[in-house]
Amino acid sequence: MIDLQTVNANLSRVPFFRFLNFEVQSLDSLHAVAEMTFETRHIGNPVMEHYHGGIIASFMEATAAIAVHPDFTEVPAKPINLTVDYLRPGVKGPLYARANVTRKGRRIASVSVISWQTDEEKTIAEGLYHFLLV
Amino acid sequence: MADISKEKMDQIAQMWNARGKGLITHMALEIEEVSSKGVRIRMPFNPDFCVDADQTLLHGGILTALLDSVFGLANFVSIEGVSTMATLDLRVDYLRAARSRADVIVSAHCFRKTRHIAFNAGSIWFDGHEDAEIARGTASFALTRGDVSLFEAMTEGKAS
Repeated sequence: MIDLQTVNANLSRVPFFRFLNFEVQSLDSLHAVAEMTFETRHIGNPVMEHYHGGIIASFMEATAAIAVHPDFTEVPAKPINLTVDYLRPGVKGPLYARANVTRKGRRIASVSVISWQTDEEKTIAEGLYHFLLV
Repeated sequence: MADISKEKMDQIAQMWNARGKGLITHMALEIEEVSSKGVRIRMPFNPDFCVDADQTLLHGGILTALLDSVFGLANFVSIEGVSTMATLDLRVDYLRAARSRADVIVSAHCFRKTRHIAFNAGSIWFDGHEDAEIARGTASFALTRGDVSLFEAMTEGKAS
């Protein structure tokens, strides 16, 4: 299994991942957990300073792609589609995502992702992502 | 644009120019067309949104963020008396690899609105390649009706 330091070094080469500014905290063959730092450029609602829903979905997609293919060389795993449910607003502060690969076949992987802030039980968003592995 | 009041157009322009911070500012969106039938927005190419070292392939997530933002605008122009709006859910299909340095065009509309919910659909393509859609999305939004309009909340800093 690839070590965390190498994964995070790989991530820092992806421009959009630098824009999101997150780090993988733990990884095994079917899971990944990541933490994203709050940035002004992530704001969707400027009055309340909530995360933009699209940033939350992007961070969850990035975490899912790493769970599927942590040792990518050029570009992360190819996404096919996604659905996201937004359950609570994401407020100023760190955001976490846990990706769980529910099935990894020869061609397609299904990944379920949740994101939270202070309490993992209080889900901010949950999503299902499909990736093409060929 | 004839069916949108001048006041509403002015509000949209004011809101767009006064954003100041956040992702929508960073995306540098430009309005191409606005009517109650739908909106068309241009996002200039931005290397920050790419996944490859050559910076020619956009990350899917930015397309998702773009759809979410433009759905919000489509709801704002087509629904009166909304005080808050929150994305309930979103589905995006990535139809082909988003490999180009061309500007991105998004077209979105609200196809059904009720007292509490708005339903949206939209498509994305690279400028000049309308026949080669790169993503398509649908979403639903939870609306709150009230005295404080979304516009006032956005521009005067009232908590919504």
